[in-house]
Amino acid sequence: MKLRHLVLAASAAVLSLGLTAAPQIGAPAPDFTVVDSKGSSHSLRDFAGKTVVLEWTNHDCPFVKKHYQGNMQALQQEMTAQDVVWLSVISSAPGKQGHVSPSEADDLTASRNAAPTAVVFDESGVVGQAYAAKTTPHMYVIDKAGVLQYMGGIDSIPSAKVEDIATATPLFANAAKAVLAGEAPNPAISKPYGCSVKY
Amino acid sequence: MRSVMLLLFCFSCFAPLWAATTGWQTAKHLQAELVSEYQQVQPGQTLQLALHFVPDEHWHTYWQNPGDSGLPTQLSWTLPEGVSAGAIKWPTPQAIAVPPLVNYGFEGQTILLSDLTVASDYQADTLPISLKVDWLVCEEVCIPAEAEFSLVLPVAAKAVLAEDAVSLFQQAQQQLPYPINVSGQFDVSGGAFSAVLDIPTIQPISAFFVAATELVDHAAPQQVTLNGEQLLLQQPLNTYFSVAPQQLDIVLITTANKAYSVQLQQTRSAGTEILITQGQQDPTALWLILLLAGAGGVLLNLMPCVFPVLSLKALSIAGHGQVRRQQQLQALWYSLGVVMSFVMLAILLIVLRSAGAAVGWGFQLQNPYLVALLVYLLFALGLSLSGVVQFGLGLMNTGSAVADSGGSRGAFFTGVLAVVVASPCTAPFMGTALGYAVSQEAAIALLIFAALGFGMALPFLLLALVPGFSRVLPKPGVWMDTLKQWLAYPLYLSAVWLLWVYGRQSGVDAQAMLLIGVVCIAAACWLWGRRQLSLAGNGSVMLAAVLLLLALALPGFAPYQQRNPTDTATADQSWQSWSADTLSELRQQGKPVLVNMTADWCITCLVNERVALSSDSTKAALALYDVTYLKGDWTLRDAAITEYLRLYQRDGVPLYVLYWPGQQPEVLPQILTPDTVPQTLARLSRQP
Repeated sequence: MKLRHLVLAASAAVLSLGLTAAPQIGAPAPDFTVVDSKGSSHSLRDFAGKTVVLEWTNHDCPFVKKHYQGNMQALQQEMTAQDVVWLSVISSAPGKQGHVSPSEADDLTASRNAAPTAVVFDESGVVGQAYAAKTTPHMYVIDKAGVLQYMGGIDSIPSAKVEDIATATPLFANAAKAVLAGEAPNPAISKPYGCSVKY
Repeated sequence: MRSVMLLLFCFSCFAPLWAATTGWQTAKHLQAELVSEYQQVQPGQTLQLALHFVPDEHWHTYWQNPGDSGLPTQLSWTLPEGVSAGAIKWPTPQAIAVPPLVNYGFEGQTILLSDLTVASDYQADTLPISLKVDWLVCEEVCIPAEAEFSLVLPVAAKAVLAEDAVSLFQQAQQQLPYPINVSGQFDVSGGAFSAVLDIPTIQPISAFFVAATELVDHAAPQQVTLNGEQLLLQQPLNTYFSVAPQQLDIVLITTANKAYSVQLQQTRSAGTEILITQGQQDPTALWLILLLAGAGGVLLNLMPCVFPVLSLKALSIAGHGQVRRQQQLQALWYSLGVVMSFVMLAILLIVLRSAGAAVGWGFQLQNPYLVALLVYLLFALGLSLSGVVQFGLGLMNTGSAVADSGGSRGAFFTGVLAVVVASPCTAPFMGTALGYAVSQEAAIALLIFAALGFGMALPFLLLALVPGFSRVLPKPGVWMDTLKQWLAYPLYLSAVWLLWVYGRQSGVDAQAMLLIGVVCIAAACWLWGRRQLSLAGNGSVMLAAVLLLLALALPGFAPYQQRNPTDTATADQSWQSWSADTLSELRQQGKPVLVNMTADWCITCLVNERVALSSDSTKAALALYDVTYLKGDWTLRDAAITEYLRLYQRDGVPLYVLYWPGQQPEVLPQILTPDTVPQTLARLSRQP
């Protein structure tokens, strides 16, 4: 009987990886361990007590470029100044668009004047699939208790044109501010738009 | 005038200014042109314009619902006053897999048609058309682009078709899905998009595209089923689904690669939830249903509630082993009794159904008085087997006692008795057949029930008609009386079971009354038996009759106690009681749910609960996957549960349904093992 329970529990643990393919708002965000461009390792649980932002990115994607004309950097600075942990996640597989070496990632950060807490690599796509990240950019906000509070688009106008940023509703920024204020974002889910993540 | 027209025509043919196309514009990985159907237009005309894309090989643009990423091509027209453009008439899309994502778009040459309507009072000589196009072209990498197209068409009294463009427009028409006007509804409850369409006879459908964005999970498998003339579609909902439109378009793709477009309405009331269950959705041939019904009937012989009757019958065949012809006649009468009872049940079911009563299989035992009568019947038969009384010798021939009497009438009523007692044990196979029967016209329903009866009688027919079978039977002897006495005990136990059912239905006070009735029956049988042995006079017969009447009257006076389902609830129970609202609420919340429809008189249900549902492995699995366990009690007639059973084409219990968010409800087998639930949960959770 004990063995059966053990097998059951083990298979459930394996299955739970598959289950997390649909992350749930209001549920604990899937944990992960990733290595950043400086070589240090980060786990979600290391950031307990801090609000965490996950930004899926691919520097060659036109939709990412649109927001790196200044919008994304401004958001990064605004958030990190409020003790938010901002991780730019690169899930591009080796050989695919957006895949970069750690030094290239650092160069990109410097040249674009970006200000994330860290740029992290997810070559295997495990983290991206755990969060069901579909596009670049695709934004997630996790509260201090490790609960997923927002997932979706960065704003409301799906286009690659910089001029649309001004007229769009900044869905992600609104959500992040709500979480920092201890409120539930509305909407908590929005449609992500952009290039597909290059798994 | 004509010569002017001709001149104009020639001019427009050769003058590049008035060409019907803008010529190609080259962008990264894509060439585009805007083409007019007419090279000269007339006021009041509606013409088509085609935006013609030729992307590089393997590059694609997007449909109105681009799928998991991508952007639909957008057109913005600048037109003079009096001229308006319609929306894009989208060609049939393709599913483009970019694992783990799926996009909807167009690879290769793509023609986007738009209608242009020119007012009848349009005055100017020319029609300047300006179009700004935004598109996203992707292979794996995506390139957004925009371009402007300008075209000036001459306006005159007579429209002139652009000959060069005819084939392009023909091609475009062929790529459009053919609109069919059928009524269809869709629903987004239970974590999935489900649709039901009344569809005329077209080729089998192999896939569908939902035009609404962020509604379905584009990469998830689609369920397409034809049920008669009804097409059932299902696909899990998108992670980013928030609100469904009132109506939406879908494109159906046939196996022959033809495309049809259909508009669907959202179902109005929450009660008309569209359900697509596994395994029971295909149009099943009548012969297969009849075969299943027959097989179900054979299996009924093995059900615990039929067994005592079966043994009665086996005994009666053994008892008449001396005359082969008589055996055959008896078997035929028995079969006739079984088949007729099933047919009568079917007629009753059909009549009640048409009267609008919410009835279902097993309803015989939902009436406590009927249960009481069956207790008496089984008990009295038991006493008869024990030798207290000899039925078939005396007066009491009708109904119960005749079952054990000799001759064709006895055989016939044994068949009737077998059916009455067997009915609550809905054996596997029977569920489908019965569900099918209830949804069919009367003649087919009767046929199915007759097949069930035939199946049930089949072993006895074989016994009597096939020589090999009867040779297996042992020779008559003293052992027969011993066997007969032994066989009394299954009957007593059956009576105890029914007593318990009665107690659950009517409470312990009524049960005590019934037990007094049972004592009366015992006394009546004893007196009767004495009379048969000529040990007692007519007074005893009178007394026996009075006792019998008393026994029959007692359940009528029994204090009927309305049972509250929560009475039986205990603090540490692992289940909640079922209600349609609870179920739909839990499913709205995206929680996995196990529904168990049961009844106290259903032995199969009770066995399943003891063996499988209350087992440690099932309990652990339910806890592990955070499954809410809902139990519905059909012991007494419950219209809501009857309705629910019918949703799954069932007319009896047990019914077990597992709901996993994002997937269609899964109906579990009617006989469960301790591993059924854990394994099913493991499999469901593993599916994407």
